[in-house]
Amino acid sequence: MVKLLHTLQTVDRRVLYALLLLSVTLPFMPTFSNIKVPVKISPSTQKLYDTIESIPEDSFIIFGTDWSAGTRGENGAQTEALMRHVMKKKLRFAVLCFDPQAATLTQTMAEKLQKQYGYSEGENWCNWGYRVQEQLFFKALANNIVSTVKADTRGRAIETLPVMRGVTSAKDVKLLVNINPTNSYTYYIQYLQGPYHIPLVFAPTAVMAPEAFNYLDSGQIAGMLNGLTGAIEYEQILNVVGRATKDSNCLSAAHLLIIFLMIMGNIAMLLEKRAAKANAAMHLGGQV
Amino acid sequence: MASLFVPAKGGAWDIRVVGVFALCVLLFALLQLTPKQYRKYVIQFVTLIAGLYYALEFFWPISHVTGPTKGEAEGNFLTPSMEQISDWLTIIAAFTVGLGVINLSMVHSKRLTKGGNTAFNSLVFFLATLAMVVVGVLKKSHPNSLTSNLYQILFDGALTTLDATMFSIIAFYIVSASYRAFRVRSTEATILLITAVVVMLGQIAVGQALTRGIHSSTLQVLHFEVVRDWILTLANAAAVRAIGFGLGIGGLAVALRIWLGLERGSYFDGQG
Repeated sequence: MVKLLHTLQTVDRRVLYALLLLSVTLPFMPTFSNIKVPVKISPSTQKLYDTIESIPEDSFIIFGTDWSAGTRGENGAQTEALMRHVMKKKLRFAVLCFDPQAATLTQTMAEKLQKQYGYSEGENWCNWGYRVQEQLFFKALANNIVSTVKADTRGRAIETLPVMRGVTSAKDVKLLVNINPTNSYTYYIQYLQGPYHIPLVFAPTAVMAPEAFNYLDSGQIAGMLNGLTGAIEYEQILNVVGRATKDSNCLSAAHLLIIFLMIMGNIAMLLEKRAAKANAAMHLGGQV
Repeated sequence: MASLFVPAKGGAWDIRVVGVFALCVLLFALLQLTPKQYRKYVIQFVTLIAGLYYALEFFWPISHVTGPTKGEAEGNFLTPSMEQISDWLTIIAAFTVGLGVINLSMVHSKRLTKGGNTAFNSLVFFLATLAMVVVGVLKKSHPNSLTSNLYQILFDGALTTLDATMFSIIAFYIVSASYRAFRVRSTEATILLITAVVVMLGQIAVGQALTRGIHSSTLQVLHFEVVRDWILTLANAAAVRAIGFGLGIGGLAVALRIWLGLERGSYFDGQG
């Protein structure tokens, strides 16, 4: 028994790695991928949906994506879900990125979805591309969008794009969307949401979400998607099966594995401690 | 000043590029020639002026002003220069990329010349940097299907894939750590473990399904997703708010010290 407990305590880490690998790949097999377990819509997700729904059709919004391939699992799924809703609502949007990879990754995503929703680049959406220094960029952007952004990623002057019609300053922006694995969403609050009262909706990774609940509480963030779960909930509201829904089982399996390992590790530790105590008591008894 | 920033083309562009380059060389030479004991004051002066502009622009009363290019905006007499100064700072920030490349090149060239186990990695660094720069510039200067495809291979095929791989590796460490390190050795650790398990179960579809069978309206507060929301929006938010206040006050103090040249450290004392 003690030997077994000791073995449990010292499992080779490669065994754990193999278990994780299986838990994140098996759910994608056809047998498991067909299992759909619904989730309950959290209040923060519902608020986000209601905020986008409240924006009148053809309004102009800024669609900020600040993620790279490292967090594509969560932020990619959130971007896809939110972009679907924005396109479904027929809102005009400009992609704005403060991460060099985000501009290309979001462009690819928008190009893929635009066919489905009858959107076209330049007409209904555009890509302002990668920018630096959020604080300075937002301060300048708030007063004059045209002279601050100047051109889109294809080098076209933005004032010539139909998507930008009637948009000159922050006052013409009706919503801010920010999908961001860091805490730089606070720049959106400081320089755009606060001074110009533009609603901001936010989609962080699950590890970053706890920091943002205060802003949600204060109303500075109008709605929030909490990691991949938030994206799953959002697809459920939109009634679409997208990237997030497909990843749901994988997320469940990985979380369950971690919980299982935490519990097993602790049980093994406690039982080993008890066994060691019993052994010590036995030795002591023998000596007496 | 605004006329300086009108985009130039052809010969005028070439002249400006050469002019700016010459100016940069001159400024760099002047800074190098400045005696070390005075450099500190140059840095302090530039920091004070740069900070003063933003502080005044933020606190000065606002009214309607005409922007430098087109349209009206709200602001004060300093606001119209905001775009140009933002451009300057963007350019200065871009220099840090160059600084990073120079630093990395110095480290890796040393390793490459020394040889040994790490030399191959350094060689890969140089080849990868060169390939990305050359293909990136070619894509902009000669846009065609070949340069576009090459860029796509390097960006999608290599950079984003490697980035995703690096980040994914963390998951394996988390699994290993959750098994080996997350132990209930104290009351605090036990509370942490229970909280983590409840939040994780509330975060996944399967976890939520476990308590879905509880239909009683009074017991619905025991649903994992309800408990998760309570922990995140009340217990967690209160702690984060307290940390946020501390960070804010600390950040303000550090910013004031740097702005007023009171900070002691490598930026100021090192130049003295």
